[in-house]
Amino acid sequence: MLSDVTFDVREGELLSVVGPSGCGKTTLLRLLCGLTPPSDGSVLFNGKAVMRPPREVALVFQDYSRSLFPWLSVIRNVMLPLRRAGLRRGEKIARAEAVLQEMGLHGVARKYPWELSGGMQQRVAIARALVSRPKILLLDEPFGSVDALTRTELQDVLLRVHGDFEERRVTIVHVTHDIDEAVYLSDRVLVLGSAPGRLVASIDVELERPRVQTATRSSPRFLAVRNEIHDVIASREREAGHLGV
Amino acid sequence: MTAAFLNRVGRRLLGAVVFGAALGIWEAWARSEPSFLFPPVTAVLERAWQVWPTTDFLTSVAASLERLAAGYALGAGIGIAAGLLMGSLRAARRTLEPLVEFLRAVPPVAIVPAVIVVLGLGNGMRIAVIAFAVCFPVLVNTVEGVRAVAPETRDTAAMLHLGLAETIFRIYLPAALPSIVAGLRVALSIGVIMVVISEFVGASDGIGHYILFQQSQFNVPEMYGGILFLGLLGYVLNRLFLLVEDHLLSWHFRAAGEPTR
Repeated sequence: MLSDVTFDVREGELLSVVGPSGCGKTTLLRLLCGLTPPSDGSVLFNGKAVMRPPREVALVFQDYSRSLFPWLSVIRNVMLPLRRAGLRRGEKIARAEAVLQEMGLHGVARKYPWELSGGMQQRVAIARALVSRPKILLLDEPFGSVDALTRTELQDVLLRVHGDFEERRVTIVHVTHDIDEAVYLSDRVLVLGSAPGRLVASIDVELERPRVQTATRSSPRFLAVRNEIHDVIASREREAGHLGV
Repeated sequence: MTAAFLNRVGRRLLGAVVFGAALGIWEAWARSEPSFLFPPVTAVLERAWQVWPTTDFLTSVAASLERLAAGYALGAGIGIAAGLLMGSLRAARRTLEPLVEFLRAVPPVAIVPAVIVVLGLGNGMRIAVIAFAVCFPVLVNTVEGVRAVAPETRDTAAMLHLGLAETIFRIYLPAALPSIVAGLRVALSIGVIMVVISEFVGASDGIGHYILFQQSQFNVPEMYGGILFLGLLGYVLNRLFLLVEDHLLSWHFRAAGEPTR
């Protein structure tokens, strides 16, 4: 699926991975979080090889309807990662409720996930990922199943999480097929090419924070970066075409 | 009153009418050819009215229900446990599948003589036979339910660092519950069948024994009464089961957007 993909993720960075479908974005994420052990090469977290999901890493899936458990209320879903945290029940509830608040979810703790809108369900999923205070948050096309308006909302939720979540900085690796989204959110964008999946470019975004949907997206730098990424992908495709791949 | 409500009442009514019509046909048929061996339904119900409240009959019912409860609980327990194991662990599935498929192919009735040889003619034999028959539909549905758990759900469990036991009980069991419950429901009617069959052989009480005994005494209305009682029992058990199911799976029905019964 993937070959010759080498990169570092810096602490506190928000890194997006883009590329055409089938280039192995999801495979890359599964390698990073230890769900799939690499057949060759290695994934290192603080110098240690990742062979199974490390405790410091949380993952948000695209399909919230399958990652949230429908038989558990929202608060019980969010409390799941805290089972072994050595906290009293009251503390677990308080912490889960605090994260829900942080995600802009009020009064939904006792509801069931399927009673909420798609955007709210994905917020619950992000809350559950964050409740155990991971150092790294991985997201696999997290906004792929919601409408455009909700999508921009959730992008800003993610930016807030990255900027200041419970006074810590979370390292975020985010996989998307939406180049604009990648540029808007990230410090750096990795571009993958297909057949076989390989790292094509690593582009520093260098847009100032905080980012604002309208202002950021209309800034010259934003347009320059997004055009650069489009060009990289297009030239890769052309190359592949010449080679008859 | 909404149209939907009228519709529902109408359907209920139609159900009752069809049921009544079937009894009416029985009544008319039996009266057109009067025979000692084929009593009209009114005669059967008249006898039932006298016999059903007697201690004798109720003792038989209680004996049958006890066997059903014990056999059903045992069979369902084994079915769910083995099903969870086989659904969760490929090794367990590979190891046990040939045996399960073989045993499942044996008609449960056929093992009665063998079980009598081993366990004698007591309650143990009857409970074992019921449990055997109940076990497989539950087991198969449990395995299917666990195997149908979405990959994202499995990955989520892995990312939450749930151990095997926790994954099985916190994730697979509830996720497979709709399928397990469907198996349990099928198994309930099979259980009733096996109760009666097990009581046809060497029993001194139970509804199965009651029916066979009345037949041997040429008490034909009593015999039919016993059969009617079984129909009624099956119906009531199924209704009770649906109540439990609605309670257990309300999250499932509501998540799927189905109205509850």
